Amino acid sequence: MADRDGSRAPREPAPIADHGLIGGTRTAVLVTGDGTIDWCCLPGFDGTPVFGALLGGPGAGRFRMGPLDPAAPVARRYRENTATLETTWATGGGRLVLAEAMVAEVAGRLLPATVLVRRLSAEDAPVTAVVDFDPRWGEHHRRPRTRRGPGLVCDFGRLALSLGSDPPLEITPARPATITVEPGRPVTVVLAAAYGEPLIHVVPSTAWDLVSADEARWQEWAGAVHRDLPFRPAVVRSLLTLRLLTYSPSGAPVAAPTTSLPEDPGGVRNWDYRYTWPRDASIGVATFLGTGRPAEAERFLGWLLHASRLDRPRLPALLTLMGCRVPTERTLDGWPGYAASHPVRVGNAAAGQHQLDGYGWVLDAAWAYVRAGHRLNSETWRAMRGFTDQVARQWQDPDAGIWEIRGDAAHHVHSKLMGWLALDRALRIGEGHRLGEAQRRRWLTAREELAAEVRDRGFDPVRHSYTRTYGSDDLDAALLLLPGLGFEADGSSRARGTVDAVRAELSAGGPLLYRYPPGRDGLPGGEGAFLPCSFWLVEALARTGRRGEALELFEELLGLATPLGLYGEELDPATGAHLGNFPQALTHSALVQAALALRDTAPGTPGRPQRTG
Amino acid sequence: MDWAGWALFGLLATSALTLVMIAAQMAGLTRLDLPLVLGTLVTPDPDRARAIGGFLHLGAGQGFALGYAGTFALLGQSTWWLGALLGLLHGAVALTLILPLLPGVHPRMASHRAGPASRAVLEPPGLLGLNYGFQTPAVAGLAHVLYGALLGLLLEPR
Repeated sequence: MADRDGSRAPREPAPIADHGLIGGTRTAVLVTGDGTIDWCCLPGFDGTPVFGALLGGPGAGRFRMGPLDPAAPVARRYRENTATLETTWATGGGRLVLAEAMVAEVAGRLLPATVLVRRLSAEDAPVTAVVDFDPRWGEHHRRPRTRRGPGLVCDFGRLALSLGSDPPLEITPARPATITVEPGRPVTVVLAAAYGEPLIHVVPSTAWDLVSADEARWQEWAGAVHRDLPFRPAVVRSLLTLRLLTYSPSGAPVAAPTTSLPEDPGGVRNWDYRYTWPRDASIGVATFLGTGRPAEAERFLGWLLHASRLDRPRLPALLTLMGCRVPTERTLDGWPGYAASHPVRVGNAAAGQHQLDGYGWVLDAAWAYVRAGHRLNSETWRAMRGFTDQVARQWQDPDAGIWEIRGDAAHHVHSKLMGWLALDRALRIGEGHRLGEAQRRRWLTAREELAAEVRDRGFDPVRHSYTRTYGSDDLDAALLLLPGLGFEADGSSRARGTVDAVRAELSAGGPLLYRYPPGRDGLPGGEGAFLPCSFWLVEALARTGRRGEALELFEELLGLATPLGLYGEELDPATGAHLGNFPQALTHSALVQAALALRDTAPGTPGRPQRTG
Repeated sequence: MDWAGWALFGLLATSALTLVMIAAQMAGLTRLDLPLVLGTLVTPDPDRARAIGGFLHLGAGQGFALGYAGTFALLGQSTWWLGALLGLLHGAVALTLILPLLPGVHPRMASHRAGPASRAVLEPPGLLGLNYGFQTPAVAGLAHVLYGALLGLLLEPR
């Protein structure tokens, strides 16, 4: 085994869709098809990048294990119903297999909070491989001080990394090590991280046992997902992805593990999604309740309750994973961005926006929980009453809407509908919980006034469709959520008309939809088709009596997933490239919700529950 | 030692501390809810936990007041500022030692190592309780200073 100097020249970034997600439910890494980890933040999802080449270029750190000469994998998959990623290359007469995972269960044992395990095995013949470990810390790509302990120790001060291997390898940061992997003698490399605490070295064989134990737990976890779900493998992969994107210490679902992957390559639409939107948590409640994982639903509800405590009755648009205020948005100077898409942003200015729809999602989640046979405890119900009062007071105000438009606030019809939903669901919950008569009447009045205003000012009788904002000519794909809310009867001509109009006018070709007419958001450049909207269309079609069409569309959409079954936020209609932060929790939740709608509307299914979440 | 004063004013000072914390919670300054944190040691039901935790908190406050009374007796003086200084120390210990160590013993509090199997529902407070809002150290410090000042003012140094 010998070291050699590797070329550090910039290279074309791997397509977003080429990335796999490995996670331990506290943070996650993205790994490309050539075995390069080019994104990892520590100590949590919203921490500081230690491998940041995805956005910061080669000098921002990466960790590659794979064949010496980069080659496209011949096979790549998650081991069935687990979070272990397996990549296989054919090279030099043999096959090289990289199996990798982060250890999820470390509590109660002397283990570091972050453990990444990567194992290279050869089949048929010895294979020459490379281990290129180059961690850099933070905005300025700080290099570590190194020393030798049981393995390599990289010291950044508050953060320390330990890299051990079996058999022992001489690994030096930024100097790729060439190794020969013999059949039957796998090479296991373990990366452990300590943040503000002593390093704990993990023996590679122990680490591999931990991965195996995790695999068994994930399989058991997936086994509890309802058996009657259509397209169950895709749904389970989405649920696993959602769980990997849930921060276990607080129960917060992170919208995506990345920042600033562009919606418009080369453009400025690059946002930081490493936070939690109450909307996503709410959708998650219904998603996990509907699929047989109530514990996850309860944790999301618990997070919502805890995180919103400081701002109640106002509901912030987004919060940190611990429920604190999101840092002020700023740009990382000197970071070139993915495919020259800059600025690279950290923090998110949308946190200060008023988004009326958020209340609707949260109250709908609470209603889903109650409808599933649970009872809200007094604090939860008090919080929900506070949110509902806020809607009753504020529904007349313009807002930024679900798409977080950064210009002037407007009267978004989707937001008003969600405001109506908040009032409606609160009234329904109030039927089984303590509710004062005066408060009930106040909500009832607000609900009726809101409905009347939306029907009057938010509907275009010429196109027979609800519109994006009051009096606007534009449509909004978020209106696809209308069927099933209960605002209009599912089969009503207004609901069907809106679905048809959105489908016709916002089509991006095939099953794809733009979320609103491209370019109508005050930002330069364009964007791709917004994937959650396509899954909402599946749901809308299913709930308006067109299940056959919905089924076809859903199958088409499944074909657009990455080879690992993951989805970003958007898709380029021309090239099919995934765009935006990756993988995206909202898209995966929408996929599961669409599958639930297909299940609920299947012939012979008793009743047709309204949409929740 | 001032046993009668301890019995009465310990209760009073703990109640004042609790009131400050509740007021701060209602004002959106912190999410730290001591009765809930203590009560969930024995029950997962938040409503019952708050009631039980309230009594546990009163008991704990009474226990700490014993330390204050003993210190005043040892020093032979008790003034509001001496009590406030002790309160500051008490608050610092609570924020830097007791709260961060809680996830290790609390059955319903997650830690930063929590994984998918964790059924803990309370978030870990973190150092200085900052996970419960960035103003938590200030609020908790102020409440403990008030607790100490009241005891220093009301307890006799004997």
